[in-house]
Amino acid sequence: MTDYIARHSLGENSFIPRKFQGFPEIKEALIGNRMQAGFMVAPMAMALRAQGVPIKIVYLGHRSGSAVVVQKDGPIRGVRDLAGRTVAIPSRFSDEYLIVRRALKREGVPAEAVRFLEMAPPDVVGALAAGAIDAFSMGEPFPSQSEMMGFGRILFPAQRYWPDYMSCVLVVREDAIDRRPAAVQTLVDGIARSGLWLDEGKPHREHAADFVGRYYFNQPPELLRWALTKDLQRVIYTRLSPRKADFDLVRDLMLEAGTLDRPVQFEEYVDVRFAEGTVGLTPWDFEAGGRTR
Amino acid sequence: MTTGKRIAAAAAGWVALVSGAHLALNVDWSVALNDRQPLDKRKFYVAYIPVT
Repeated sequence: MTDYIARHSLGENSFIPRKFQGFPEIKEALIGNRMQAGFMVAPMAMALRAQGVPIKIVYLGHRSGSAVVVQKDGPIRGVRDLAGRTVAIPSRFSDEYLIVRRALKREGVPAEAVRFLEMAPPDVVGALAAGAIDAFSMGEPFPSQSEMMGFGRILFPAQRYWPDYMSCVLVVREDAIDRRPAAVQTLVDGIARSGLWLDEGKPHREHAADFVGRYYFNQPPELLRWALTKDLQRVIYTRLSPRKADFDLVRDLMLEAGTLDRPVQFEEYVDVRFAEGTVGLTPWDFEAGGRTR
Repeated sequence: MTTGKRIAAAAAGWVALVSGAHLALNVDWSVALNDRQPLDKRKFYVAYIPVT
C-alpha cells in the first residue's frame, strides 16, 4: 500500500516490494540478503534472531487479522471439537499456531490432541473445501475467501483468545539498519501513515482493496473488500509499535510449544527507534487519482 | 529487393519485435536498474506474502 501511494501520488518509491508465496522462502531470502526487509510472522522472526540471523523487528504489519475456520456445516461447533482433527497452519513458527494452542489450553484440550499440518497460506481454502483438513488457522483474506465461497465458517477470530493479537511484523537486516537508518525510517513511516489512512474508514479500505488486489496480491478486489470492510475490526492497522508485553507473550507461548529453545530478550530482537520515530505522523492525504502530501 | 532479402528483413523485424516485447514485458527494470546502483543508494527489497 505504501508503495502504491508513494508511486502514484508522490511519483517516487523508496523500496521495491517482492511477492512470495510462503514465509520459509522469505526467511531464506533475508538470510541470503536478497531481501533487505520483509514481513513475516513474529515467532519466525524471533526464532531466527535466537539462532543468530542478523535481523531486527522494527514494526508490526497489523493487529488482529487471523481466524480459525472450519467447514460451515461440519461437525466442529466449538474449540473442544478440534480434538482429533487436522488443523492447517502456515508454520509452527507462527502466531496462527500459537493461537490455536492458546485456545485449546483455555478450553482444557491438550495441544497433542490436534494434528497440525503446515501448509502454504494460498492452499488452505482448497484443502478445507476438499475435506483434506478439518480446519485452518490463517490470516486474512483466506478466512474471508472460505466464507465468500460458502463452505467456511469462522470458529473464532484470534482476538477472542488473544486481545491485541499480532501476526506479521516488519523485519529488517541489521546491516541495512546500520548502513541506511534513514531509509528504514522512511519505510516504517510509510507503513505507519498507510495504517492510519486505512483505519480512517470504509471508503479508504474499499479503495485499498481495489489496488492491492489488482497490483500486489493478485486476488479479486471483492475478496479483499470483504476482508477489510465486513467488520473493520477484523484487521486493524494502527497501534503498530512493537510492545514488550506482546512479544513476551509470544516468547512464552513459543517456549511452551517448544519452538524456541531459550528465552530471548525483547531488546535482542526488536529495535524500537523507528517506531518511536512515527509518533505524530498523520495519515496519507491520498485520494484516488489525486496528489498526496 | 530480392525475395531472399525480403525474407531476411522480415525475419530481422520479427526478431526485433519479439525481443522488444520480451524486454518490455518480462524484464523487471526496477530490479535491473536498482542492482546496478552502489550499495548505499540501492532501494531496499521488501518481501511480503499475499496475506494480511
